[in-house]
This record gives sequence, structure tokens and C-alpha cells, in this order.
Amino acid sequence: MGAILELQGVSMSFGGLKAVDGLSFDVNEGEIVSIIGPNGSGKTTTFNVISGLYEPDAGDILLKGESVAGLRPDQVHDKGISRTFQSLRLFTNMSVLENVLVGMHSITNAGVIASMLRLPSVRREEKRMYDKAQELLGMFPGRFSGPRQSQPAYSLSYANRRRLEIARALASDPALLLLDEPVAGMNPAESHEVMEQIKMLREKGYTILMIEHDMHVVEGVSDRVIAMDHGVKIAEGSYDEVANDPQVVEAYLGKRAAADATA
Amino acid sequence: MRLAEITGAIQTAAGRVPRGVYAVIGFAIAAVFPLLNVAGVVETAWLRVGVVSLLFVMLSLGLNIVMGETGLLNLGYIAFFAFGAYTTALLSSPKFELQWPFLAVVVLSTLIAMVAGFVIGLPTLRLRGDYLAIVTLAFGEIVRLTIVNLQGLTNGPNGITGIYPPRLLGAEALEAAGSSGAAAWLVVDKPIEYYYLVLACVIVTSVLLSNLKNSRVGRAWNALREDELAAVATGITASRAKLLSVVLSAGIAGFAGSLFAYYSNVISPESFLFMQSVIVVCMVVLGGMGSIPGVIIGAIVLQALPQIIRQAAGAARSDFEVYRMLIFGILIVVMVIFRPEGLLPDKLWRREAREVDPRELEKTRQSLFDLEEGEKDLEV
Repeated sequence: MGAILELQGVSMSFGGLKAVDGLSFDVNEGEIVSIIGPNGSGKTTTFNVISGLYEPDAGDILLKGESVAGLRPDQVHDKGISRTFQSLRLFTNMSVLENVLVGMHSITNAGVIASMLRLPSVRREEKRMYDKAQELLGMFPGRFSGPRQSQPAYSLSYANRRRLEIARALASDPALLLLDEPVAGMNPAESHEVMEQIKMLREKGYTILMIEHDMHVVEGVSDRVIAMDHGVKIAEGSYDEVANDPQVVEAYLGKRAAADATA
Repeated sequence: MRLAEITGAIQTAAGRVPRGVYAVIGFAIAAVFPLLNVAGVVETAWLRVGVVSLLFVMLSLGLNIVMGETGLLNLGYIAFFAFGAYTTALLSSPKFELQWPFLAVVVLSTLIAMVAGFVIGLPTLRLRGDYLAIVTLAFGEIVRLTIVNLQGLTNGPNGITGIYPPRLLGAEALEAAGSSGAAAWLVVDKPIEYYYLVLACVIVTSVLLSNLKNSRVGRAWNALREDELAAVATGITASRAKLLSVVLSAGIAGFAGSLFAYYSNVISPESFLFMQSVIVVCMVVLGGMGSIPGVIIGAIVLQALPQIIRQAAGAARSDFEVYRMLIFGILIVVMVIFRPEGLLPDKLWRREAREVDPRELEKTRQSLFDLEEGEKDLEV
């Protein structure tokens, strides 16, 4: 099990604010790693740097040993990193099915002229895409069946939008899946269901790096947990190790409360 | 029954007919129209209105790619039309004593317009919204002013006259074989012949574009318009996809421009005013952005309707032309208020304009009812 993703001393600042400061960690193949930390601790910025939305000021990001730092988001995606967004970013007027089909953009290759003429190769590709989309949407039984696939994405419930975003991100067979708060805004039953689905993804061999605030989910799925505060990694290890780390408790509860807790 | 119910019922009934049927009916009507002229029912002037309308249909189909699919406003679109028209005029007129074969001229005119699209697209596509609109507007004006002032090449404001009619493939061979009567058949010089030539081009273009719309490329354009950040994070190279749409739409405008130059025999900078760009934008908006049948209807309505009104108004109102733009303006304002999605809207834009589409909801409810899970709450 080699490292799929390696962050080496990645820093990113906005003006005077160091959002991420010399962050290093690895994600191994087939692993689920969670990043936790209070709001503003640099988790989403880390995701944005990894997925190419920002170029890091310093440090390097390696995907399977190859640097992806400074590449455009679409290039990073082509290399095999796929993501979801904390504030859902579906193509809201497009249908459920179309959203997933767009997700396959980088693994398909029908060109303009071939598409205009609807050549047999294009038809075969469309058929393959359709079958694959059925498989992906089928991971969420009963949620996206039949006529719902032709519904616009905005008509979906909040939880279903999150599910659809995951399906879209998986559509390109990513080597690494970044999930930014996959259960945010879900009720306990729904988040439990998503948790089961994330576990199922691991069984299918996906490697996942996720940001999550819901400790129940973090505990349930993570092989490893990384805690961040003020752009710095303050703890790393199993869920129990990190959850009981005094620095982590302090970051969440403040110094006095942390002292009370350990006293 | 309330009016809404009646129109709703009509829409449901109309929705059951496959779209292809409407396309065939529409094109069949367009194909039969010139026969009325042959039969002596309508004047030849109306055939000319038909040809120009079809040329504008072509232009609208092209502009629809950037505006409707990719969501980029282009206010200098007519410049690409000018590139096509002038390329054709120079290669097939007494100006330089050239008469290239029709096919070569049309292909080259299209390519030159595409190159122009590439050149203007490359540096400007980083811009968004208003900025892009201003830059394209300026581009359109620069092209027009260049045409006016580049006297040596374009004859300036006088324009290029005496453009030779298109000679379709085989005309030369027939002439060489001595059968000039048969060759004359292949020279397009009567309105009815132009009409069918342009109609054939429009049909082919709209079929190709509707294939493209429902393909990987079309979906990528739609995704960029919906949410550029998400599209880029999903592996779509924004600059390439946008450039492709601009180049393709420029090519269609160049193609239309080439046919326009052949048809009108004379071209001058007056045909490529900023107002023409605006009119094409209006055609796309009126018809329904992103909808191929929509923009076809939009172009026909805005191009042919003024002629019909003028005819109806007759001698009584010979100054109709003065009010034409005023009526355009009012029409667009009314449309934007009451039917922002256009006459025959595309489903994406209908959703954009009206958060919930009652037709779609009803359809889903109906089909969910047939499923086992039909009893479950729709919302979960």
C-alpha cells in the first residue's frame, strides 16, 4: 500500500493570513483519511490547493509520485483527483443523469465533428456512459430511480443533492476522492446512510480524503484522522488518539476547558 | 375551464408528439413555400424575404451556440458574417478577376471566419459577462470600420459589386462537355434556387447542431454555463471548450455570410452594422436561448414579420421602417417580462427562468405513480 497522495510542506496564504502553513501528510491507497478542525483552520483551503483551485505558495503535492501542484483544476482532475464541494455545486438546471454524464467528461473523448455526425463510435460511447451512470446512481438505492433521473438537480432534496455530487465525482473513476463535508446538513439517519455508503466505497477500492465535522461519521469510517488548527497539523493518528489529544481538545474547547477536561 | 388549464392541456397533448415530427413538418412547410410562387399565389418578393430569413436562421443557430449553450454574450457577432461575406466577394467577383469554385469559396469563407473567432476568442474568453460583451461589441465595430477604410481590398463604403452566382459541383464539367443548358441548371441565380440552397444548408446545420447539443461537447458547454467552477473541477477545460464554441459559431456565421454574398450580389459595410448583431441577439432571445427550434422561429418572426407588417400597412405607412426598431424593443421588453425563456424554450433555460416547471413536475408525478415506490414522498 503506497502513498497515493503526498503533501510536502504545503503553504498557502491570503495576504497576511496563512491559511495553510507547512502542511505535510500522506494518504495511502485504499485508505479513508478524515481532516477535522475548527472553522477557519484551513481544511477547505487544503482541499482547494489539492484540487488545483489555488496554487500553493510553497511545498509540493504528489499524486502517485507525480507533482500536481500548480496545475489547473481540470488537469488535476485528469490526473485522478475528484472532489465534492461543501456548498453544493451541482449543475442545477441539468438533469440528475446529465450531471453524472458531465462527470465522465475526462474519461470520454467524443469530439465535435464525431458528435455532430453522431458516428457509431459516439453512440457506443453514449451507451457505455449511460450504463455506467445507472451503476453509479444505483449505489443509492431508490434515490435516483427511473423518472427521477430526468428531473432537474434543483428539484432534489438536500441529502439527494449531496448523493448526486458524490456520484458525479465518482463518474471519472478517480484515484483519490475528496469529500468536503459529505453529511453536512443531514439528519442522523441520513448521515448514517451516507456513512455506510462511504464504507462501501472503501470496499470497492476507492481512496478517500474527507473533511467532516460529524464526529460520529469520522469515527465510523476513518482509518486515520488528521486534526488541523490555524493552518497547521496538530495531531494525526487513529480516531481515538486524535480525539483525546490535548492539543485537539484545546483547539475545539479553548485552553481553560481543555485544562478542566484533563484535570 | 380556466385559460391556464386549456393551454396546459394543449401543451401536454403537444408534448406527446415526438420532436422530430415537428421538425419534419416545419421543414416540409419551408420546402413547399416556394411552390406557391411557382403556382403564382405569392410574389417573388416573398421568396426573397424567405431567403434572407433563412440566412438569419443560420446566423441565429450560430449565435445560439455561444449564447444559448455556453452562455457567453457576443455583441459583435455580425463581424464573423462580414468575414465570410467579404472572403466570398473577393474570391468570386470582378474585383480581382477571380471565380473560385463554389465549394472552395464557401469552405474558405467558413475557415476564415473561424480563424477570426479564434483570434478574438483566445485573449477575451477570460473575461466574463459585461466585459466580454463590451469587448465583442468593440471587435464588431473595429471589423466594420476596417472594412470601410481598407479601400484597396474592400472598396470601402462602396462595397464589392457583381459577385458571380454560385456554380455547383459539376457545372464546369457539363459546360466543357458542351451541354450549357444542363450546366445552367447547376448555376444558382434565381431566388427559388437560392431559397432551396440556403434551406438545405439550414436543415443540415440544424441537424448537426442538435446532435452536438445532446453530446459530450454540448453537455460540457451547458455545465460551464451552469457553474464554471464545478465544471472545471469536473475535468472540463474551460478555455478550450469556450474557444471551441466561439470558433464554431463564427464558422457558421462565416458560412451564412458566404451564402449572403452570393445571394445579394453586392455587399457593403452597411450590411454589418452593430444593429445587425443586436437583431441576431434578439432573435435568439425571442426564440428561446439554447433551443434550436426556438431560434429558428425567433429568426423567422423577427425577419419576416416586419416585411409582412410592411406589406399589410401598405402605402398608408411607408415609413414603417422608422418604427421597426421601436417595435423590436417593445417586443423584447414584453417577452422578457412575460416569457423570459423565449417562444419555444429549451428545457434548461425554462428551468432557469421558472424555478419550478409545472409540466415537468406533473410528468414525474405521473411516472412515479407507476413505479412501486410511487407512494413514497417525492421530497425524500
